[in-house]
Amino acid sequence: MEVTLLIEAMDTSFRLMEDARSQAVDLLNTAVKLTSETRDIEEKNIQAIFTGAQEAKSGFQNLVVTFLMLFAFWVLLSGKYDLFHLALGVICSLLIAYLTHDLLFANVRVGDARVIAYRFFAYIPWLLYQIITANIYVASVVLRPKQHVDPQILRFKTKLESDISWVTLANSITLTPGTITMDIRDGEFIVHALDKKVAADLNAGEMEDRIAHVFMEADHIYVQDALDVAPIFGELKRGL
Amino acid sequence: MIQKSDDIIIKTLARILVPFIQIYALYVIMHGHYSPGGGFQGGVILAASIILLMITHGLKDTQKRMSEKTVAILSSSGVLIYAGIGVVCLILAGNYLDYSKLAKLLHVAPAHARSLGILGIEIGVGLAVMAVMFSVFFDISRGEVSQEDEDE
Amino acid sequence: MNEYLLSIGMGLCVLVFLILYRVVFGPGVFNRMVALSAIGTKTLIILLIIGFLYNRVDMFVDISMVYALLNLIGTLAASKYLETQGENY
Repeated sequence: MEVTLLIEAMDTSFRLMEDARSQAVDLLNTAVKLTSETRDIEEKNIQAIFTGAQEAKSGFQNLVVTFLMLFAFWVLLSGKYDLFHLALGVICSLLIAYLTHDLLFANVRVGDARVIAYRFFAYIPWLLYQIITANIYVASVVLRPKQHVDPQILRFKTKLESDISWVTLANSITLTPGTITMDIRDGEFIVHALDKKVAADLNAGEMEDRIAHVFMEADHIYVQDALDVAPIFGELKRGL
Repeated sequence: MIQKSDDIIIKTLARILVPFIQIYALYVIMHGHYSPGGGFQGGVILAASIILLMITHGLKDTQKRMSEKTVAILSSSGVLIYAGIGVVCLILAGNYLDYSKLAKLLHVAPAHARSLGILGIEIGVGLAVMAVMFSVFFDISRGEVSQEDEDE
Repeated sequence: MNEYLLSIGMGLCVLVFLILYRVVFGPGVFNRMVALSAIGTKTLIILLIIGFLYNRVDMFVDISMVYALLNLIGTLAASKYLETQGENY
């Protein structure tokens, strides 16, 4: 009689312990799931802070800058400065700026646009000087009785980051006689050069340094970048 | 179907050039009185800008900007503006497209009303020409889909 | 000034004829396309010089801008077609 009671008591206690164990496992699983869900929600919130801030600030600014550039182009083209034509210009520039403002400034870094524009206009005379000297050299190479033409293909990676600076570098290389950019594949420039001297001029990298200076890349950190990233650091610190 | 080009140079150049090409097209339309241009030429340049966008960025991205419904509405409204101005001149007791009768509506001198009337006509023609040229190019480029797969 | 511009224009026309050799005899379609694009750049300057000679520069600036645009788009569209269709043309 005591044995059966003992066995029953042990059975009940084993069952109780099994129930407790399965309940503990359930609780643990729910806790893990909830933590990962909150982690996802937190990450989405942080992402929304980052992109939302970028878009809200830059949408209206892009529209205004695009409108001003298009209106300046219109005034440059049209020689008539009476009220009717200027009003037509304002209407047309507004319409086109509204339709295409996200085309012109798609990948804008948070940098100072005025400084970039000023440095770009200061870069153009140096480029013209390079074109003239390279022109004279290529003409002298081509017109010699025995040609010293030695075509070669260079590949190099650059330290530039955004697509506009890549395109500026590629166009500057193509505009300079003696070198032509063939392709940009996986961030690597493939350039065809006419001679050893022009290849050596390109490999020295002065054009690349100047373009990095124009677009303010690979230089130093900017205060605006740090300010944009600060709320994200705050959220992460609070989350961890 | 035209695929997106994977060359970063022409993609960047196309997206920077398109607003300037469009403002140049509108300049050509509006200054038809004073320099070579007018409605048809401006419409062709507008269509060329959108074709440039389509060649470099592919069909899908361009369809997000300029869908077929928009194109149909634009072409119809271009013809509506042209015919509408003519009919308004008829209503105001003149001949069809007799712009001097518009002077009553706009409160300007009849000579100035003729100039404004022709400007309105040019805008209608430009819109219609752009829409039709773009839609013809669109249909021709989509005609090759029937050989591969049709998932529209 | 007019004679100077006229002589420059004639020099450019001679250059256009030199490139025309490549358009006619170029083996393959890529040579012909690149040569056409190069002729386009010379044509721009010849149009502007004609504008100076006729004393109506503003009109010819408009025309040459449109021609530059069409040259670009034509070359891009032709190369896009040739990329997908190959060279047996």
